[in-house]
Amino acid sequence: MSEPNTLIQRNLWETPWGYLESFFIGLGIIITGFFLEVFTGQTSSLTLTYPYNIYFLIIYIVLLYVAYKWFSSYQIIRWLTKVPASITSIVLVTTLVMVMGIIPQTTSDNAVINTLGLNRMTTNWAFLLTLFLFLSCLGLITIKRILQFRWSNTGFILNHLGLFMALLSGILGAGDVQRITIDTYEGKPNWIAKDIQNNPVELPFAFYLKDFLIEEYNPKLALVDNTSGSLVHNDGKNLYLITPKQQYNFNEFEVVIDEYLPSSGRVLNKYVSVNEVGSPPSAKLTIKDLVKDTIITGWVSSGSFRSPYESLKISDDYSIVMTIPEAKKFSSDIDILTKEGKRISTVLEVNKPFLFNGWKIYQLSYDDRMGKWSNLSVLELVKDPWLPAIYVGIFMMITGALYLFWVGNKITKK
Amino acid sequence: MTWIDFPLYSTNILILWCIGLLLLLLSYKKVALFKIANIVFITGWGILLVFVIKLWIELDRPPMRTLGETRLWYATFLPLVGYITFIRWRYKWFLGYSIAMACLFLIINYLHPETYSKTLMPALQSPWFIPHVLVYLFSYAVLAASSIVAIKGLIDYYKNRFDSETLKLADNLVYIGFSFLTLGLLFGALWAKEAWGHYWTWDPKEVWAFLTWMGYLIYIHYRYFYLHKSKQALSILAFAFIVLLICWFGVNYLPVSNTSVHTYTQ
Repeated sequence: MSEPNTLIQRNLWETPWGYLESFFIGLGIIITGFFLEVFTGQTSSLTLTYPYNIYFLIIYIVLLYVAYKWFSSYQIIRWLTKVPASITSIVLVTTLVMVMGIIPQTTSDNAVINTLGLNRMTTNWAFLLTLFLFLSCLGLITIKRILQFRWSNTGFILNHLGLFMALLSGILGAGDVQRITIDTYEGKPNWIAKDIQNNPVELPFAFYLKDFLIEEYNPKLALVDNTSGSLVHNDGKNLYLITPKQQYNFNEFEVVIDEYLPSSGRVLNKYVSVNEVGSPPSAKLTIKDLVKDTIITGWVSSGSFRSPYESLKISDDYSIVMTIPEAKKFSSDIDILTKEGKRISTVLEVNKPFLFNGWKIYQLSYDDRMGKWSNLSVLELVKDPWLPAIYVGIFMMITGALYLFWVGNKITKK
Repeated sequence: MTWIDFPLYSTNILILWCIGLLLLLLSYKKVALFKIANIVFITGWGILLVFVIKLWIELDRPPMRTLGETRLWYATFLPLVGYITFIRWRYKWFLGYSIAMACLFLIINYLHPETYSKTLMPALQSPWFIPHVLVYLFSYAVLAASSIVAIKGLIDYYKNRFDSETLKLADNLVYIGFSFLTLGLLFGALWAKEAWGHYWTWDPKEVWAFLTWMGYLIYIHYRYFYLHKSKQALSILAFAFIVLLICWFGVNYLPVSNTSVHTYTQ
């Protein structure tokens, strides 16, 4: 498919269009996009919802088909199905995504970034138009290969059609995605969720939180600089997970963990095991200063919403602190109550959502100030009707990737 | 704590691999030495594997969370890529390169030990974690190899001794690496859907993963259509690797990094 003689003189816009024309078309699209962004952007973002996205999908695919089938003699259609347009559109999308990867996609102080919408790339007109060009190339080429079907084209079709489906369904389906969160408190049924703008949404079913559970890792020990108050990085070897009887070394200090109490309370000059809401973990340490040959013993505690933390000063320069324990696992034991009087019990956990009535229910968060004593669990409900189409696309691409791997093998054998 | 044992293990592996590399070099003159070199390489690799397994057991979680841990996997995969490539195409220099690169990653880890943290946040506790990261690291290792081929090709090109076979090797590596890259990307999307309810959130890491994918996509398309424009293809390949490097750890240094959930620096 190479062009052996690229030196043939050709005027700009003389057929067939090549890279120079592609470049100008691309530039035109981006400039148009930025103009639209400057004059209409900022407030409006292009999101189609049901049923308009379905109409768009049908019309778009029919148009691509008709264009390929009956209008392929038109220069623009021919150009779209040829290499320069494909490569140009891939490069254009890459360039704009690269802008997204460099400029933080949050509110900016820079007037140029704000006006051109470079900090809201996913809804930027320039990006959407470029993506439209990219999808049109991809769509036309896929139609072409499907119509001229040969078995050797399987990998090509899987990859290209898969990407086309996943991207197009993702873009068009974005407007139909519903995401709401609901706060559930232990012992109180709740059916009023909130949408992203915090508006209340009444659900046809209620959630009843029976129990919210957190499993925690042991807290860590860390060294702090007394003057700056910041953590000391001992070649990355600070922050030890507390393990009773464990010893670790830091510079001239030898630290031994004598005792660890996961749930404790301060009594006079020491900590004892208590099991009340808000009783923090604590540990008794023995620190030997190998240079000065002194020994210090004392208690540290991470504290909780109810008790203050306690650090241990080991020299003029350093103190030891205990970090707040990190969550290992959190889960909600819930009942879903329907209007028909049904009661469905399930346990929600991160990475283990539950499917109910077309909603996927996720364990989102909890009251992190209260930590393991939280009696609030925040759930997220997501409805994504276009997901099956996206998944079909994704699985086609997975198959295509495996095919590519196999073909990669075959080339070597030649 | 087996990270404490790392200097011991890595020193042994490095000594073995350096001896192996020397033998490999000498084997260009005396062929018999190549066998010994292989034994030495594989012994070193075995020790590394033991370390990875022990670390995994000790941490009680897959060691894939910190940058140091990913470097460890990189050092494990590169010799493997070297051997697979060697078995198929018989490139001795490439085997040597992949082992030398693995040495480099061991040395970096030796100089920058990571934290001993065992914790793994709930979102990472997923059956997708291991396939997602392993597939990615393997693809990075293969694509890194392809970029070295590209650089060798560019040097050869300027010295006027370019052989189009070099690009065929690069093509093979890119096809293998790219298919794994695609799998990693899609596994990540499926995992995210299970964990957070959205397969793609344009997180900076995701943006750069997408860019890396597009970079190699450009190379594959360019090669497919312009089989004889070697220099341009080689340049695209070298450029794609820069994007990959930004994605792998460069993102942490970009202004966008503080909005990312994919930071594995601690």
